Amino acid sequence: MNLPIQCPKCRAWLLQDIFNQPELKPCPACGVPLRVEVFPAMFRKAAAVQMSETILVEGESSCFYHPGKKAVVPCDNCGKFLCALCDCDLRGQHFCPNCLETGKTRGKIKTLDNERTLYDSIALALAVYPLLIFYFTLVTAPMALFVAIRYWKAPKSILRRTKVRFVIAMILATLQIAGWATFFIILATK
Amino acid sequence: MDSKYVKLTSARARSSFAVAAMSRCSLWLGEDHLLSVDSSGYTETYKRFYFQDIQAIQFYETRRGINWNIILGTIVTVIFVLVMIAKPAGSPSNWQGGEIAWMVILVILLAIFGLFLVINLIHGPTCKTYLRTAVQTEELAALSRVRRANKALAKIRPLIVAAQGGELPPDVAAAWMQNLAASGAKAAPDVPPRLS
Repeated sequence: MNLPIQCPKCRAWLLQDIFNQPELKPCPACGVPLRVEVFPAMFRKAAAVQMSETILVEGESSCFYHPGKKAVVPCDNCGKFLCALCDCDLRGQHFCPNCLETGKTRGKIKTLDNERTLYDSIALALAVYPLLIFYFTLVTAPMALFVAIRYWKAPKSILRRTKVRFVIAMILATLQIAGWATFFIILATK
Repeated sequence: MDSKYVKLTSARARSSFAVAAMSRCSLWLGEDHLLSVDSSGYTETYKRFYFQDIQAIQFYETRRGINWNIILGTIVTVIFVLVMIAKPAGSPSNWQGGEIAWMVILVILLAIFGLFLVINLIHGPTCKTYLRTAVQTEELAALSRVRRANKALAKIRPLIVAAQGGELPPDVAAAWMQNLAASGAKAAPDVPPRLS
């Protein structure tokens, strides 16, 4: 059950005409200026939990995971029949617990994708920052090139789309490696 | 889906001293949700708040901006006084090398801190913003200024109202909240004190 909105500063319940006002109003308890926008979801009753039903009529489709329970929906990914207990409803899509888990770990279900590693930024950092102390580039330039090639096709940020960081990192790393190669060749020939 | 995010706020540090840690937050508008992005520079963590699920958005004015104004104002005043005291007599063409170096350092410091002060004044009062759903109350660190929070709310509000099929007039919201408090107090006796 929902509890009323509290003042974020003093934690007193806000019950007066402070909601959905166009400007900041003082909290009746502590006086701090605040604005509270409340939406109908605040007062919506939570949907009743669906219980899985036992199969009573022979021939009725049963849940893949609970053979004694009546199937209510197939999994949208693998098609297995699921009872109400096994049905994981994800914004209108139905998944079995296995598909939900694999979908999350493999990043197949976009709405569950909640973390990304920015390999393009890592490659660029490896190519740029060590330039401050140039000797480090002997190690970091091949690393930057490796990261850029290895993770070229890895999922990027869901906000960014270009591979420009990878390209810059590869160019810089290649130049650094070429510079070191030239240096060692000159050193060897002397 | 990936390409359909529209930037709502630019990235902001999670706290005033988070520059070194590079933890930055930003808000993006999706088709049916608000996306909060926490970025460390090398990883991004996403939180999705579906318009249908948002129960409330609230923010309150904090004293952080005023405190920074006081600190920066004091520093600028002190440096200005030092410039006035250290300023050698005569025209700048007659100043010695050391005197010129001191004046250049002090003026650069004055300009840097003065710029921070002006930026802080331009951005206006600071605030803390919270978004509430049925299962969590999340601080939106990207909305740390009152003006920006108001602007963002003006953009988000119609989308939430459309997703939830209508808006609540202030008097209805207050009446329903009082009902909620009455039933909540019966169900949970250890709740915070109520204001009449």
